[in-house]
Amino acid sequence: MAKAVLVDITKCVGCGGCTVACKLYNELTWEEKEPQLGEKANLCANNWTVVQKFAVDTPETGVWRYIKRQCMHCLEPACESACFTHSFVKTKEGAVIYKPTELKQDFCVGCRYCMIACPFDIPKFEWDKALPFVRKCRFCNDRLKAGEPPACVSVCPTGALKFGEREELLVEARQRISASPHYVKDIYGEKEYGGTSWLYLSDVPFEKIGLKTTAFEKPVSKEPIPLYSWNVLKWTPYIFVGWGAVLTALHYYTKRRVEVHEEEMYEAVETKEDIKQ
Amino acid sequence: MQRTWSFKLTPYRYILIALAVIMVVVALVRLVLGLGAVTNLNDHWPWGLWIGFDLLCGIALAGGGFSTAFIVHVLHKGKYLPIVRAALLTSMIGYVIALVALLFDIGRWPNFWRPFFYWGYHSVLFEVFWCIAVYTTVQILEFGDIFLERVKSFPLKKVLGYAMTPLLIIGIILPTLHQSSLGSLYVVAVDKLYPLWWSMIMGFFFVWSAFFLGPAMVTLEGTLAARAYKRTPELPIFQSLTKVTLWMMIVYLIVKIIDLVYRGVLSLAFNGSFESNMFLIEMIVFIIVPIIMYAIPAIRTKLWGVVTASVLVIVGVIFNRMNVVFTGMAAQMGGHYFPSPWEWLVTLGMWSILILAYLFIVENFPILVKEDHAEEAAVASRASVGKGVPSGT
Amino acid sequence: MMSLNSKELEESKEITRRAFLKIISGLGLTGLMAGGLSGCVPKQTGEITPPLLAKSKMWPENVVGRIPIDPDNPSIVRYDEKCILCGQCIQACQETQSVYGFYNLPVVDETICINCGQCTLVCPTGAISERDDTRKVLKALADPDKFVVVQTAPATRVALGEEFGMPAGAWVMGQQVAALRRLGFDAVLDTNFTADLTIMEEATELIKRIKGEIDKPLPQFTSCSPGWIKFCEYFYPELLPHMSSCKSPQQMFGALAKTYYAKNKNIPPEKFVSVSIMPCTAKKFEAKRPEMNDSGLCLGKPALRDVDIVLTTRELARLLKQRNIDLNKLPKENYDPLMGESTGGAIIFGATGGVMEAAVRTAYFFVTGQQPPASLFNLTPVRGLSGIKEAQVDIPGAGTVKVAICHGMANGRKVLEKVKQGQSPWHFIEFMACPGGCLGGGGQPRTTALPSDEIRTKRLNSLYQADARWQRRESHENPEVVALYHKFLEHPMSELAEKLLHTEYVSRADKLNRTAVAAARSWKLRVVK
Repeated sequence: MAKAVLVDITKCVGCGGCTVACKLYNELTWEEKEPQLGEKANLCANNWTVVQKFAVDTPETGVWRYIKRQCMHCLEPACESACFTHSFVKTKEGAVIYKPTELKQDFCVGCRYCMIACPFDIPKFEWDKALPFVRKCRFCNDRLKAGEPPACVSVCPTGALKFGEREELLVEARQRISASPHYVKDIYGEKEYGGTSWLYLSDVPFEKIGLKTTAFEKPVSKEPIPLYSWNVLKWTPYIFVGWGAVLTALHYYTKRRVEVHEEEMYEAVETKEDIKQ
Repeated sequence: MQRTWSFKLTPYRYILIALAVIMVVVALVRLVLGLGAVTNLNDHWPWGLWIGFDLLCGIALAGGGFSTAFIVHVLHKGKYLPIVRAALLTSMIGYVIALVALLFDIGRWPNFWRPFFYWGYHSVLFEVFWCIAVYTTVQILEFGDIFLERVKSFPLKKVLGYAMTPLLIIGIILPTLHQSSLGSLYVVAVDKLYPLWWSMIMGFFFVWSAFFLGPAMVTLEGTLAARAYKRTPELPIFQSLTKVTLWMMIVYLIVKIIDLVYRGVLSLAFNGSFESNMFLIEMIVFIIVPIIMYAIPAIRTKLWGVVTASVLVIVGVIFNRMNVVFTGMAAQMGGHYFPSPWEWLVTLGMWSILILAYLFIVENFPILVKEDHAEEAAVASRASVGKGVPSGT
Repeated sequence: MMSLNSKELEESKEITRRAFLKIISGLGLTGLMAGGLSGCVPKQTGEITPPLLAKSKMWPENVVGRIPIDPDNPSIVRYDEKCILCGQCIQACQETQSVYGFYNLPVVDETICINCGQCTLVCPTGAISERDDTRKVLKALADPDKFVVVQTAPATRVALGEEFGMPAGAWVMGQQVAALRRLGFDAVLDTNFTADLTIMEEATELIKRIKGEIDKPLPQFTSCSPGWIKFCEYFYPELLPHMSSCKSPQQMFGALAKTYYAKNKNIPPEKFVSVSIMPCTAKKFEAKRPEMNDSGLCLGKPALRDVDIVLTTRELARLLKQRNIDLNKLPKENYDPLMGESTGGAIIFGATGGVMEAAVRTAYFFVTGQQPPASLFNLTPVRGLSGIKEAQVDIPGAGTVKVAICHGMANGRKVLEKVKQGQSPWHFIEFMACPGGCLGGGGQPRTTALPSDEIRTKRLNSLYQADARWQRRESHENPEVVALYHKFLEHPMSELAEKLLHTEYVSRADKLNRTAVAAARSWKLRVVK
């Protein structure tokens, strides 16, 4: 059913083959000033996945760790709920896709609210285009539909990326954690923001390799982002009807009051003001 | 008395027109070449000056329209009628400008109409979009009343008159919804927006501040207009409006503190960080100081006092919106953003157009109550028994 | 005709790499490349058909993966936009050199690389390349204040010609000198000179080890190949005492150039720029090793490097082409004196087994004081491209000296395992990181097909032919080396020689993860679907 990928940081050798596979498969362009590998690698419109390098201080010594970043493919995607033209959708295979480019359903207005909403800062924008699209990892949706792993996973030479059913991968991840004392006893992506389809295992704290575990000194939310906006939006009909009724009632009530009773009151107020002056 | 359209050109107005022309050129370049060619927006900062200032502040500042409409048409505080048209006018122009700014800001602008047909109803932005679009229409209809009076098309005006009450009611509900949704937009930015600003009830703070901003805007505008057109500022009205602002600001402050305490983040306000300092400035200079000024009769009853306090309130709301869009987001967004000169020029040009449109309409439509009329109104309001002021309509 | 060509070019430009991959898979990359590849793999490892490419048609079946390359690697760089993930580099690094996949994950704080550059030779798109240092050379040459000296390695003179359309193995020693003069070098000298010197020092060291005059174990390992040295430092640091303390010829040259040569020519060392032309990418790394500043230390200026800039054969060819210098049209010229003379023993340094042969010739002389017998001038068992070669030489007074030669670190690993287990019958072992020795170095000209033994054999034969026709064939006969000892160093392994010509090694074992997360252990045996 819903596919997922388990990323084991301890197995990544930092070759960056996954980033090249992504570019090859999705026919993305190359920019010299947008590296996909190293300390300065960042996601952008043409880098749907990057391998970032972190120098991490450990109790014994400093180590390097490489981490592949891409869309986390949330179980309940913030971008999907934030988009007011419904341009993002989570497929049953597990990919979060952008409909204007994926399905040629071009309703996106380019408001970039998805970029504000995404807790992982994944959607990127084609700033240099006249009519830009939002761009991000598509989980190689066509391959996923055919039951194949995404391009990046298929070229990983060390097995740092493992493709499979989310539930099975979670079981395997827990096995790996219990089999080795080195791992952080947590699977990043299991619960964060309601859970994601990309899961991370690491032997160094997640926050040291750029995965957000806390925000403003508190753990990041375990609730899906869509729940937040829904908890606000669900009141809209009540406000509309209720506030409308209150306003209408007030309108007619005060109108009558003005017509019948208002004289003394107004006079009193005004007189008071006059005295103050 | 049929007049021809008139628009007197002064040096200041030439500058405004020049700014507007520059804006049009820059905006065209932006529409043809894309956002990257003109703005400094980037993947870290997808929203910048145009959303932060032109949209969020513009809409908030245009809140004068719905708060006066509420006071006058729902509560029937008739004495405020002299200002209602001016407030409505500023509001309407403000909304049109905000919508144009939005058109410039959205990347795929030829698609701007799509949301009418493809409903992402689970998005706060959906609510914002619909409410603003419909409300702008309502405002134009409301203004149609004045327009039809000007062109002396009384039969049409009469037809519109029948629809006026529902329009006015809707014209209050919609802004309530979208002023709050503009705040609720940032509810999804949990873990991104600094907790001093982020809250599940951001919507309340936004709509509430937009409402109490209304009287302050009316005060400032009224004073400026009076100066420009050599009238007497309608000080009594301004003064009595301060009561509205005063009590609403006190409620705002109390709810804010309760919200911070409830979420356990009050201490963040005093941790000495950039965000905490900006927050304290926002609260002390732009909320507590105006409250005190409004509370003291010796200040409130002076024109300088009420105008100064109103300016503080207005700047305070702008300051708040900027804190939400920029200060509060900076830590988590990373990267760097400062608006490019072109972005500034577009914003400047946009507001120049707002001023020019205001001036043109005021000089050609029956917006401001005529001087004698106003005096009459003042006299009437003091002496009036039940009738309030003579109706502007 | 021209227009047709340019049209074709344009069309080919428009093919995306994904389309390119599809075409390649359609043509059967496997079939095209298998022949070349078998040559790159040492024979001893058995017949290796590239399993990484033996796959069916569609993407990503021909898309395999690649090795990690640190962006700061001093020797090699990779241009990602050319990479097609064909996996050839994995093949070279893992099968030929036994580096990739021979350490545990997670990584420590270094991308494990012995800088050998074999990946640059097999990369079919040229995505992996030597780090280009030609600009530094041009800058030094353009500076009138600088005295720029260049040395040329033994193996470049049998390969540079290929870049100019000559057959593989073409002997272009004289033309190379002429070309370098035309580029504007102030002195063109020969690494072969210090190759002879290396033999003097290394043979002396060997004899001392055999006689027990120094407290160092047998067998002695040669130390000319910086890729091999780094390999040993990574994987067999416990065997480093076996490593000859002699620097490589390049570094001996560097140390002498700024002391002996500069002093003789009255050139202030800070104006002196030392450039070397090498068949090797690892030499770029070697020159940057922190301890390679002995000339600077001697002169009280520790910031001075012994060798300032290292160019590979390919970079030299590029430089010449930029300057429109055609090797075919140049006369043969001689090296400049003082450090330009060499013997046949030095020439064969460029081939696997060559160092051993030259060392044995000189060791024989050192022990017996007599000319070696004719068999030592054609020591067949140590010649050729077999992955591991063995020989034994009777030296009166020292007994039977057993030697082994290996090239390609996968072969080296087998020999090292034997030494480690105490099963080594040998006294002296030559290690060369690259298949074929320096002549197959990672900085040598790329061939149209993948590197093969056919090309290597031609280069090899060319070197041995030169040795055979050389007037002097024993390193100790090099008159300039004799003069150097007479005027400067006194005798092999003298105090000054130790200071300038010998070095120490560091264990890099801490850069490998030896106690890895258990789950990550089996990664080197990647199962190919």
